[in-house]
Amino acid sequence: MEHIYKHKKKIIYLGILPAFLLYLGFVIIPIFISARYSLVEWNGFSPPSFVGLENYAEMFGNNIFWRSLKNNMVVVLASVLGQVPIGFLLALLVNQKIKGRHFFRTIIFMPVVISAVIISLVWSMVYNYNFGLLNNILSFVGLESWVQNWLSNPDIAMFSVAAVIIWQFVGLYFIIFLAALQTVPDEILEAAKIDGAQGWKRTLYITIPLVKDSILAAIVLCISGSLKTFALIYVMTNGGPSHATEVMAIHMYDNTFNGMKFGYGSAVSIFIVVFGIVLVTIVRKLFAKFEN
Amino acid sequence: MNNKIKKIDKFKKIATYAILIFFALINIYPIFWMVMNSFKTENQISINSFSLPESFMLSNYTKAWNAVSLGRSFMNSFIVAGISVLITVAIGSLAAYFISRFEFPGKKLIYSFFIFGLLVPIHGTLVPIFILMRNIGLVNTRVSLILPYVAFNLPLTIFILSSFMKSLPKAVEEAAIVDGAGYLRIFWSIILPMSRPALATVGILNFVYNWNEFSFALVLINDNKLMTLPLSLSLFSGQFSTDYGMQMAGLSMALVPIIAIYLLMEDQLVKGMSAGAVKG
Repeated sequence: MEHIYKHKKKIIYLGILPAFLLYLGFVIIPIFISARYSLVEWNGFSPPSFVGLENYAEMFGNNIFWRSLKNNMVVVLASVLGQVPIGFLLALLVNQKIKGRHFFRTIIFMPVVISAVIISLVWSMVYNYNFGLLNNILSFVGLESWVQNWLSNPDIAMFSVAAVIIWQFVGLYFIIFLAALQTVPDEILEAAKIDGAQGWKRTLYITIPLVKDSILAAIVLCISGSLKTFALIYVMTNGGPSHATEVMAIHMYDNTFNGMKFGYGSAVSIFIVVFGIVLVTIVRKLFAKFEN
Repeated sequence: MNNKIKKIDKFKKIATYAILIFFALINIYPIFWMVMNSFKTENQISINSFSLPESFMLSNYTKAWNAVSLGRSFMNSFIVAGISVLITVAIGSLAAYFISRFEFPGKKLIYSFFIFGLLVPIHGTLVPIFILMRNIGLVNTRVSLILPYVAFNLPLTIFILSSFMKSLPKAVEEAAIVDGAGYLRIFWSIILPMSRPALATVGILNFVYNWNEFSFALVLINDNKLMTLPLSLSLFSGQFSTDYGMQMAGLSMALVPIIAIYLLMEDQLVKGMSAGAVKG
């Protein structure tokens, strides 16, 4: 076999080439160009001037940038503490012999496939002060005092937005955990039952350790997914009121395409890439330590 | 004792259903509520947004259809997403075939290089791609969307296809090679037909991602005639933000194709999205 393959290497490389070139040109090289842009001052039209690390200095001195980083961390925490446990709980429940398993799976995953733009517009109306579903329900059950402007109150707008992000992606984590739980052999759980491990104890000491790889994968996904948050917030609040819901991707977009600061915007986007890699590495290291 | 266990089991069952039904309602009810209100006048919505509509008034629907040219946006999204998927699957499956079925120098490196793309956030590339498209005069063309869509879909496509192709038995092409068939012939008439399930998964997965994509469309398209569906819908949050009946009607229409695709291809979508998610 091998000898037939050997002198046809050219065909192999040629076959991979189209995918390789497109991927290189539109995914990899742009990151390096971003890095180069981050070192210049440029309005996108007149010739760029080299400023070294000034854009980064400006970024770290900008309160709005820090605010956007903090808001991003709210999204990360809401995802890790909201989506992961809820997704895990729902997966445990659906992974039983119950009627309507398939129905529940379909409904729980559904929001994941809907575009962020549709979801943010639907939820803007759910949050609407006058006729919105949420305020209506609150008055209906006698909680009038909770009724408020969910998206225009700067103190809570970020949490309202984070709730929608949780709502959209719980289904993804649910599916990841469900797939993992289905690989846990029944015999192990049966054996645990005989040994007297019941209910929550069984989940805590037997099931969770068996699916810990998926939990790590889910947390990594929460982090990288949260740092990408853009469309949902762009449409729902556009980062407002007064930057209360601005995340880094919005900060980057706004400065680049509205403020015409292409260098500064590129510095922010490089920060997003690097920050994501660093955060994910830390989580992986923590997990490895935890294991030993 | 036995009775007690039975009671606990019964309680557990009820609690299970209660929790699941609660979350199912949270997922469904906001959408149901919106669809109901899309048939009402502004006045009816503000008086009581809970009630069922008195009649299926369609004026919101015709208004929404025309206001953001929904028909045209559906078409634009379909063209851009469809062409991108065809190109991605064509060049992605070819690359996956060689990566999964042959040994050659640099194979592992090339594979990891592609997989690395699962980690790259779109916003890290947005500015250079915009500048590039502007410099070569492609801003406000469909090509400006198709190129990055294909490129960003390749990592997941190659990942899913090459792990599937790797699992096919080696014997299938050995017979063909003895018969004198060339590599491309084996790819076209043996490997591709056998990979149909995986091709369906990546095809539908990429289609949905492209159909929903917003950031590139926002930056690269501002000509109304070329706007994709998410971009057109985003106009609701700006210029039409106060006509809620119309907005609800527009969103209800926009939900139809994606929900239909989801219900028809649920298994492929669920499998593909979770595979990509875990790897990323």
